[in-house]
Amino acid sequence: MFVARSIAADHKDLIHDVSYDFHGRRMATCSSDQSVKVWDKSDDGEWHCTASWKTHSGSVWRVTWAHPEFGQVLASCSFDRTAAVWEEIVGESNDKQRGLSHWIKRTTLVDSRTSVTDVKFAPKHMGLVLATCSADGVVRIYEAPDVMNLSQWSLQHEISCKLSCSCISWNPSSSRAHPPMIAVGSDDNNVTYSGKVQIYEYNENTRKYTKAETLMTVTDPVHDIAFAPNLGRSFHVLAIATKDVRIFKLIPLRRESTTSSGPTKFEVQVMAQFDSHNSQVWRVSWNITSTLLASSGDDGCVRLWKANYMDNWKCTGILRGDGSPVNGSSVQGAALGAVGSGGAQTQNSVVGAASAGRKKAQLMPG
Amino acid sequence: MSGSKPDILWSPHHADRYVICDSELSLYRIGAVGTSEAKAGALPLSQETAATLLAINSDTPYMKCVAWYPKHEPECLLAVGQANGRVVLTSLGQSHNSKCKELVGKEFVPKHARQCNTLAWNPVDSNWLAAGLDKHRADFSVLIWDISSKYSPEAVPAEKLRLSGDADSGMVVTKPLYELGQNDACLSLCWLPRDHQKLLLAGMHRNLAIFDLRNTSQKTFVNTKAIQGVTVDPYFPDRVASFFEGQVAIWDLRRFEKPVFTLTEQPKPLTKVAWCPTRMGLLATLTRDSNVIRLYDMQHAPTPIGDETEPTIIERGVQPCSESVISSFAWHPSTQNRMVVVSPNRAMCDFTVFERISLAWSSTTSLMWACGRHLYECTEESGEGGAAEKDIATKMRERAQSRYGHDTVQLWRNHLLAGGNDPHLRSLWYTLESLMQQYTEDLEQRQQGNKQSLIYAGIKNIVKSSSGTTETRRCWKGSDRPTDVAQYHSEERSLALQLCGWISRGPEIDVEPFLRSLEQEGEWERAASVALFNLDIRRAIQILNKGASAEKGDLNLNVVAMALSGYTDEKSSLWREMCSSLRLQLKKPYLCVMFAFLTSEPGSYDAVLYESRVAVRDRVAFACMFLNDNQLPRYIDKLTNDMKEAGNLEGVLLTGLTKDGVDLMESYVDRTGDVQTASFCMLRGSTAEVVKDPRVQCWIENYRNLLDAWRFWHKRAEFDIHRSKLDPSSKPLAQVFVSCNFCGKSISFSCSAMPHQGRGFSQYGVSGSPTKSKVTSCPGCRKPLPRCALCLMNMGTPVSSCPGKSDEKVDLPRDKKLAQFNNWFTWCHNCRHGGHAGHMLSWFRDHSECPVSACTCKCMQLDTTGKLQPSDYV
Repeated sequence: MFVARSIAADHKDLIHDVSYDFHGRRMATCSSDQSVKVWDKSDDGEWHCTASWKTHSGSVWRVTWAHPEFGQVLASCSFDRTAAVWEEIVGESNDKQRGLSHWIKRTTLVDSRTSVTDVKFAPKHMGLVLATCSADGVVRIYEAPDVMNLSQWSLQHEISCKLSCSCISWNPSSSRAHPPMIAVGSDDNNVTYSGKVQIYEYNENTRKYTKAETLMTVTDPVHDIAFAPNLGRSFHVLAIATKDVRIFKLIPLRRESTTSSGPTKFEVQVMAQFDSHNSQVWRVSWNITSTLLASSGDDGCVRLWKANYMDNWKCTGILRGDGSPVNGSSVQGAALGAVGSGGAQTQNSVVGAASAGRKKAQLMPG
Repeated sequence: MSGSKPDILWSPHHADRYVICDSELSLYRIGAVGTSEAKAGALPLSQETAATLLAINSDTPYMKCVAWYPKHEPECLLAVGQANGRVVLTSLGQSHNSKCKELVGKEFVPKHARQCNTLAWNPVDSNWLAAGLDKHRADFSVLIWDISSKYSPEAVPAEKLRLSGDADSGMVVTKPLYELGQNDACLSLCWLPRDHQKLLLAGMHRNLAIFDLRNTSQKTFVNTKAIQGVTVDPYFPDRVASFFEGQVAIWDLRRFEKPVFTLTEQPKPLTKVAWCPTRMGLLATLTRDSNVIRLYDMQHAPTPIGDETEPTIIERGVQPCSESVISSFAWHPSTQNRMVVVSPNRAMCDFTVFERISLAWSSTTSLMWACGRHLYECTEESGEGGAAEKDIATKMRERAQSRYGHDTVQLWRNHLLAGGNDPHLRSLWYTLESLMQQYTEDLEQRQQGNKQSLIYAGIKNIVKSSSGTTETRRCWKGSDRPTDVAQYHSEERSLALQLCGWISRGPEIDVEPFLRSLEQEGEWERAASVALFNLDIRRAIQILNKGASAEKGDLNLNVVAMALSGYTDEKSSLWREMCSSLRLQLKKPYLCVMFAFLTSEPGSYDAVLYESRVAVRDRVAFACMFLNDNQLPRYIDKLTNDMKEAGNLEGVLLTGLTKDGVDLMESYVDRTGDVQTASFCMLRGSTAEVVKDPRVQCWIENYRNLLDAWRFWHKRAEFDIHRSKLDPSSKPLAQVFVSCNFCGKSISFSCSAMPHQGRGFSQYGVSGSPTKSKVTSCPGCRKPLPRCALCLMNMGTPVSSCPGKSDEKVDLPRDKKLAQFNNWFTWCHNCRHGGHAGHMLSWFRDHSECPVSACTCKCMQLDTTGKLQPSDYV
């Protein structure tokens, strides 16, 4: 059972992204008010904003944490066509600001000529590597060769995806059997270009990223994409937010000859497909064991999905965007929207969507 | 707005009132459900709100358009445009208001009757009301009336007065203040907020025109098809939306030549386009006969001035009342993103458009999401219901805290540590327990020069090497009737039976202890079937009787016992015929296999062997007794493959901790993600082939990573210790060496490299803890070690900090643990000042800067991770 409570965010405009650090004790939010806020969880479980600063000259779309072994490092990307890397430094400032940490910009990545729509650090075993994607359809992969010097980033790869990119996700698998892999989603509106999700894999021999797979069945704009934490599994799971929630399973086919230099071939299966958000799905996120998926959509609800032992995915929870429970679930102590905007909801749409969800949430033949 | 389809209009000043207009005007008040305001007849609009009908006005027939007076006083004054072009002022439930009274009923009559298409109050000079009319020859199509004008010229024909049905001629106005748009029709118009003297008109001749009332002869205009529903963005006074058919054009008045951009075309014609008054850059559109309101979020719409960026317009769709068609909608004037929607049959619905929600899971399974400007955190609560199964992440966290996997003496107890409610884990740890017992016993035998160990290899490999099988035909116990059931025996088969738990170690095959333990646990059916498989019908019947008479016993067991007692081995007996058909209806698997065994032909026991509800260990034991040397390996192979495919942990009994076992565990991990069990289980696999398997290493790494992410650092450390005991090669190397400032040699060199030759120091030590010596100088060059920054004594860290071996198992009280730690040599890696750990800790408890004078290093704050407390800290 899940219970929600609200936190005073104090952003002056829409929040576009929230991101937890590795330990789940820190959080970063970014907003159209061009700022990023960092939050720390105190011992009593309350979140306190410990830093808030202007990061860009446009809406900040995404913010993400590096693994703590690289220090306290954030990356953000914005409509202002840049991505930036930030590092927390210990306050050399005066005592007035005690309790507030200080973040300084280590670098600005200015290669994109259009809005940078997503930014993600690679899994830590690859070193300090950062990928960005932009509306002009280019994925850029940067590397800080010296992890002690975050102001030096070299552009290692530029992958042209031909379609306007909206989201990227690194395959988090640390297994040596899985080469570095990145999935890219496109929000291009034109349905004639099918395959809005492309998967690129690093080739050790050519030292380049090559396309390993295009998910041709995804024809509608993709708004978010997330590889599930691999956790030692032999396959990869990819969740996609498009006009519905889709979960794909990518099973690497064992190679016949070890000398073949081509990208890994995959057997692609659709594990689940839900249209119970009724309209566009905006975000998907996996929990640490990739056994729970959360999605948000235009029905204004957050839905939780879980697979049973038979790989049968079911909706296990619905929460409205303002934290209030969808009627029928007797959740106590749920924090209702703290402000007026949360006052009015529609029973009809949500309930209708919920029942539709139950009907439609079924296993796809795969 | 057509007469039949209802439209909706919010009061500009009362946040809880709106008007629905179709053939009449109905004023509603919206309130929370259940409050005193909401009366019995209130219409529910949503879960929380309901509407009460306050007033109905049906004075004005042939309504074409309505506009609400924008000022506070008089409230509830509406202008209605009629099909004949007249504009009537009317009111709802405000007749007592005197100021209103002199306005209500006032009519503004154009020279030529034609349909009135649109009305707009001037936002500043609120006496001005603009009316857009259809074309009538060369007449003007836009008339701006002054509602305060009193005079009624005699020119009004008497006939018109009669038509209006109003005897009071003083209420009819025929002279407009301004006349615009000659020789044209006006489909829509709006006042420009930047300059209240300016008016934007959309005319029939495919143009948008801006008139300035100070000089009506001049206009700026642009030709376009998009001439319906012009509306100004309340947040951006230069931005205007207009539409035509299915297309919306967005204009910038500063560069009026062409639309800034057009939105994607809808297949059906649009009926309404409205900017959200409470949220910047949000445009809602509605098409005919649709249940979806499309929203266009133009946070970063391009401006005509400046750079040519790609427009980032986010298109969304909401279904306020699920499947029913929407006739019209209206944004709430003050509550953010709220609208009321009305369907053609006047069903209404209160709806809030949520912002796009972004979300993220934390490592500890709490979900944070952002909706609009607000954050919500959602955590998994262990509700008292507890019906839903916990997620594996939560389970693993709980198991890690209860030291799951760490009981290396009594392996079976680990399933209790895991919560004791998972049958798979129970089976796994019991299997491992028996495998380990066999293994240790075998190890002893091997030391005595016996043959090589097979045990960790599982039953599959044991039976493969089976040889010297003897076949016997025993009698049913307690009777001399011979059976034609062949039983097989060999050393390996008894070993397998031992692993299955049927018999204990020893040459004899005696299941009696096993039966008794099953009886104790109340597993009557299972005990009876085991007895039966050992050809002891009497014992089976006795067990069933006992089961029936036990507390909460199942009386049906007596019936089963009766049925059993009638057993006959005659092939064509009625008993046999009925049993073989009726047994399929038995719900309990063990009862089912009992009759299957009794009724099957000797040598073909598929009904027993492939009854998947029966525990694997029992089926394997059965197979070891009754299958011949040809059948047995085939059956075991098939079962092993089935178990491997399903990732069923019961199959570990067959595979053991071999490569097969890793395959099985792989599909278990694929299915459940339970790397914890996989890591602990595979660590017991002694052979390098298993532990060094990349998959096993991967599970271990993933599990350690999970523990780290949960800040279970102590558990992770304990796991590493556990691991290095079982897999010595995983022991990490020493991480830090401290070298002497003078000679450059490691100050711990002499001791760590030659632990047995540390005479020089150990001679001071008390026996039992040989390393408790004081070293205040470098063992290499005898120069003194640095001083503690606080006590200014030379560091005297004992060279080896590990306490005596005898202490290892004893749980030291906390202060004692710390007492040893206090002597540690610590330093800040940044400023390179340091001292005794205890002194340093107490200093930094209330200081942030280094204790060394003039050093401003904030040693304790340098590493943020260092500030985090481990969450398994007790």
